[in-house]
Amino acid sequence: MTDEPAFDFIRDSLDHCVKCTICETACPVANATPLFPGPKYVGPQAERFRTPGSSDDGSLDYCSGCGICSQACPQGVHVAEINSRARATMKQQRRMPLRDHLLSRPSVEGRLATPVAPLANFVLSNRIFRVLAERTLGIHRSAPLPTFAGRTFQRWARRHRPAAAEREVVYFHGCSANYFQPELAEMTVAVLEHNGFRVLVPPQDCCGLPLQSNGIFDTARSYVRRLVGNLAPYARAGNQIVATSTSCGLMLKREAREILGIEDDDLRVVSEQTYDICEFLADLDAAGQLRTDFRAVPMTVTYHAPCQQQGHGIGKPALDLLALIPELKVIELDRACCGIAGTYGIKREKYDIAMKVGQGLFDDITSSAADLSVCDSETCRWQITHATGRPSVHPVEVLHRAYGL
Amino acid sequence: MTSAAISSASAAGQPAPAGRADGRIDCDVLVIGGGSTGAGVARDAAMRGFSTVLVERADMATGTTGRFHGLLHSGGRYVVKDPKAAQECIGENIILRRIADDCIEDTGGLFVTTPIDDPGYADRFIQGCKATGIEVQEIGVAEALRREPRLNPRISRALVVPDATVDAWKMVWSCVRSATQYGATVLPYHEVISVIRDGSRVAGAVVRGPGGELRIRAEVVINAAGAWAGKIAAMAGCEVKVRPGKGIMVATNHRLVNTVVNRCEMPADGDILVPIRTVSVIGTTDTLVDDPDDWPISRQEIDEMLTAGENLVPGFRESRTLRVWGGVRPLFQDEGPAETRDVTRAHAVLDHRARDGVEAFLTITGGKFCTYRLMAQDAVDAACGVLGTSRPCRTADEPLPDSGEQKFYRIGSRLAGRERTLHDEQLICECELVRRGALEEAIARRGAASLDDIRRALRLGMGPCQGGFCTYRATGILHQATNLSAAEANRALLEFLQERWKGLHPLLHGDQLRQAWLDDWIFQGVLDVEHLPLAEQERARV
Amino acid sequence: MTAQAGTRAADAVVLGAGMAGLTAAVRLAEAGLRVVTVAKGLGSLRLAPATIDILGYGPGRVDSPAEALPAFVAAHPHHPYAAVTPGALADSLRWLAGHVDAYAYVGDASANMLLPTAIGVPRPSAVVPETMAGGDIRSLRCVAIAGLRALKDFHPALAAENLRAAAAAGGLALDARPVLLSPPTDGEADVGTLSFARRFEDPGFRGAVAAELRAALRDEEAVGFPAVLGFDQVRSVWTELQEAIGRPVFEIPTMPPSVPGMRLARALQERLRRAGGRFVLGAQAVGPEIRDGRLAGVRIRAGTRETVRLARWIVLATGGLASGGIEVELGGAARESALGLPVFGPDPGEPAFLPGYLDEHPMGTIGLRVDARLRPVGRDGEPVRQNVLAAGAVIGGARPWREKSGDGISLSTGYLAAGTILEDAG
Repeated sequence: MTDEPAFDFIRDSLDHCVKCTICETACPVANATPLFPGPKYVGPQAERFRTPGSSDDGSLDYCSGCGICSQACPQGVHVAEINSRARATMKQQRRMPLRDHLLSRPSVEGRLATPVAPLANFVLSNRIFRVLAERTLGIHRSAPLPTFAGRTFQRWARRHRPAAAEREVVYFHGCSANYFQPELAEMTVAVLEHNGFRVLVPPQDCCGLPLQSNGIFDTARSYVRRLVGNLAPYARAGNQIVATSTSCGLMLKREAREILGIEDDDLRVVSEQTYDICEFLADLDAAGQLRTDFRAVPMTVTYHAPCQQQGHGIGKPALDLLALIPELKVIELDRACCGIAGTYGIKREKYDIAMKVGQGLFDDITSSAADLSVCDSETCRWQITHATGRPSVHPVEVLHRAYGL
Repeated sequence: MTSAAISSASAAGQPAPAGRADGRIDCDVLVIGGGSTGAGVARDAAMRGFSTVLVERADMATGTTGRFHGLLHSGGRYVVKDPKAAQECIGENIILRRIADDCIEDTGGLFVTTPIDDPGYADRFIQGCKATGIEVQEIGVAEALRREPRLNPRISRALVVPDATVDAWKMVWSCVRSATQYGATVLPYHEVISVIRDGSRVAGAVVRGPGGELRIRAEVVINAAGAWAGKIAAMAGCEVKVRPGKGIMVATNHRLVNTVVNRCEMPADGDILVPIRTVSVIGTTDTLVDDPDDWPISRQEIDEMLTAGENLVPGFRESRTLRVWGGVRPLFQDEGPAETRDVTRAHAVLDHRARDGVEAFLTITGGKFCTYRLMAQDAVDAACGVLGTSRPCRTADEPLPDSGEQKFYRIGSRLAGRERTLHDEQLICECELVRRGALEEAIARRGAASLDDIRRALRLGMGPCQGGFCTYRATGILHQATNLSAAEANRALLEFLQERWKGLHPLLHGDQLRQAWLDDWIFQGVLDVEHLPLAEQERARV
Repeated sequence: MTAQAGTRAADAVVLGAGMAGLTAAVRLAEAGLRVVTVAKGLGSLRLAPATIDILGYGPGRVDSPAEALPAFVAAHPHHPYAAVTPGALADSLRWLAGHVDAYAYVGDASANMLLPTAIGVPRPSAVVPETMAGGDIRSLRCVAIAGLRALKDFHPALAAENLRAAAAAGGLALDARPVLLSPPTDGEADVGTLSFARRFEDPGFRGAVAAELRAALRDEEAVGFPAVLGFDQVRSVWTELQEAIGRPVFEIPTMPPSVPGMRLARALQERLRRAGGRFVLGAQAVGPEIRDGRLAGVRIRAGTRETVRLARWIVLATGGLASGGIEVELGGAARESALGLPVFGPDPGEPAFLPGYLDEHPMGTIGLRVDARLRPVGRDGEPVRQNVLAAGAVIGGARPWREKSGDGISLSTGYLAAGTILEDAG
């Protein structure tokens, strides 16, 4: 939009800050370590001392980017977004570790590793390799890393022949479901088909989120623009787009604009049509259009709404959905963050902080009588399982089971 | 209030004014007025070896000097209308960059032709710059927008000049430090109550300070009282017509531009947007007022400033505005025209012997902040004449304390400084990143009981919350660090709140109103300051 | 395509998550209604001292809010308390006391306590956490005000000196003196209130504080602490600290953010969750959803998308000027930000603000006006909508901070707004 006046609504949102400090009391990282001076400090406060390209506060690097400060702010300051932009500037000013480049490109790794998945998984779980990786790359030896499935959901989707349906929905599966957990994507398709949708799976690559959260904005922009370009024709045709990766969905909904600063029509139309899968299904239910032929699932589960899911500003629709399942007892956990925040908790210097951030959540899970832990975000599920030893699933997996599909 | 004298006690070996204990001081040069000119004169006179005393009725730099937008002119503003003033500006701009870099941020300046400006002015501007020796470079509109993305995209021309911004308080205090190093005595909070006359000669002044009255005898008295110079001259039996020209300014919550932006047009209201420290200041207006101490600010004037800002930076009106304030320029003209913009910005040294038959009394008036050093030089040259001596001025060559290494101030420096002490020190004013150590040092240095004096030294309470979160903290620290009673500390708190309110209430709306209400919640809802115990006379003062 | 994409229905949508909003939401959810609370952010309750001040000044100091209120309301007919009957006020206070598990709230509307503020002014409060009640200056003879070196938001020397002077002015013999403690803070010089509250939950830290205190205290001295004595475990922290030093200990509210405010917010949010209430954080109400001429819900924005929340009732608890529930432009034009309801502020031509900081600024009482059921009214005095109820600081006519009435208004109107809905719902 070149004819629009340059107007930086994210930076300008610092004008709403009344210094109340609610964000800092809500910040999981500032509550876990004094190394991070807190979101108000590095956000609306420090921003007044920054000029384009300047970077004077390295402590900013301890922000995990979880976004809780922006959610907590009662005045509408885009605290986390201001911080993300400042961190990107900082990373440009300083030499970025190779690690951050590696962690930022899941789809590249996915394409390389999928054909050799057993080998890749062996290496990633090998103690010696992990110690080496910690020393040379700064990836913490104990940090949770996913395993490659050895197949991709995209390939499955191309061969999949759905039954005829009256309505269509577009599925944005993200890298995780494609390379690490294709069965989640397949369950999602099954749940949507069960509700009378034909599921369209356009070609798609990484949304650029890990690049963005590691401060590599230019490359992140080109990834998200390409993705949005693929999805825009569907959105323009009136198709809704559902996402099972709550953080990648948030990239399309908000972060591409609010952090990467992209203003274009493709993004706007995609953004307006993108729904988190639980949001989408709960809306269907509200409209009386969700099938509720659920079987009893006599289990107790905990539900943790991850920080990235809360960034959608939609409440916790998963709770409304799980409440429809007979005999399922759901314990809603009241913890803000598991600590992993995408790739943050994987890094050597952040791992302990991330584990401390998540400690309350892990304690709640291990002390509960739950059989299973439910959580919308893949990296959080890895972290939860890593820290508690308990299985963790996406809400759709529970729905899939309750539908008996 | 403790005595706030800044004296030569620390400057061993320098000629100090004699006396003091018996309420008398004798000196060569008495300077009246603690603005930039007075401070400059005191420094200059002390550097030339005169025993020098400066008196100021309030704190240093609280009159006009501390109440401007912070622009260090390149002179561009005056090239068409007043080339002499322009020449003085660029000359001093170059000198001050050399001797006072610690007080200056090298922002550069842009003159832009906005849609409401005469497109032909830019050519006259370029010619004027060339004629007056101001470096000027035209850049394309796209390049101007790249440098300052918020600029009105409908500008048609953009000219780069060496404007900069300057921290007036820092500059004045640097002059004071330098002057005292050369033996001068600087007495803020000492108000002149009468001028001593020995027949046709002015022989000093009687001043009233916190410790009572002082009788200061001097060989020559320099009236550097700025907009108040007429009042001082009247005490000496002279008439000086200084026309106080009021200008108002509005500060935004954060910088909208990082370069000084001027409209490329004849000087007008609201045609400059100055990035000074953490804020942008839009200014200014120019209206004659009768009394330099009493003039209101109307919503209409504020509204005009916001409209003017909108012309330079679209969206300006939606930006948070922190505060409004005004200053009164000392516009000198014996037979003044009605429009203050037509009065020359140049300065004049009046020797009242020739003019009024009053000897040993000089008035330095007119001028503007960026020529303060030159004004001081001219005034002290004239004083040398009165004293029958000739001593060269050195202020253009000798850097001020903490300057002289061409290390201009950088806005990020406080953030970098805070980063180094993140775990070791408390942050008292969070908005302006004022650390506890800096606050305690300022309190000790000034011996001051006024948080407002501390504010000017440190920018305490000058950020978005306007003291909402730091005032209680600073009061507690002030109470501890000095021997103030709680009642005195309470008064300091309430006076600071009142002082902050003064610049807030005319413009409160939007974000700043939300802030003010949260601040009230803190002071009235949580602390209940309206029921603070005060001594009776203090309650009356507040 | 779903026909109703982006709409989810509830019985009641509560806008705002401060004292008023949470009170209304909890009461409705516990009554079995389907409640969705929509909040732009975490509410201002986290900044509040969390004392329930009913009426402290009106304008003279009030000893008994219950006795003073009838005359006060008669003199201020547009005050929110005009809609609150004495019985309803008492009910709301009892209700609150029954909904905070962490510790007891003590006191009632019949008498104000006089509790020191962080600057040492005795401030009237009616219902307060049990950890604060011991600070009533009328029951104290000898007190040490304990500061923590790394806490910049509490200055014991100034507070103690002021407290002494204020007590003397009130004819009380109170000896107050400061004690500055330096418990270990892992080398951190700047520790916030919440961080201290967490540290106090560590027995080792508490022990260090107690040891330092025991060495410094005189006989018979009670101890006033900044209100940082624990967060989740406030009661045990407070009790054990008293046992460890053998003296009564009381808390004094600090600057925001306020630990007692966070405790109270957490208690109410926990109740809301247990009652099945839903909480949408980080979304803003941007306007009414009118269907068939009737208010059918509220439009909500999060990110670029606007959605509709359908509801039979809406509780407007978005706060006043400080929270953005009421917004004012430079010229003085004001709007209620969520539903665009009529706002009553200074008269045109009247100055909004006066030059003295402590003057009674005409802007101070801006807000909605409500009828006896808390329905916002228009210029004609009639309710604008039947199914919108206002609660808390969005209602004008009060000077909460000056009157010391803030959370009393918020609690009682939040409680009553829910009451109106429950009556209507049958």
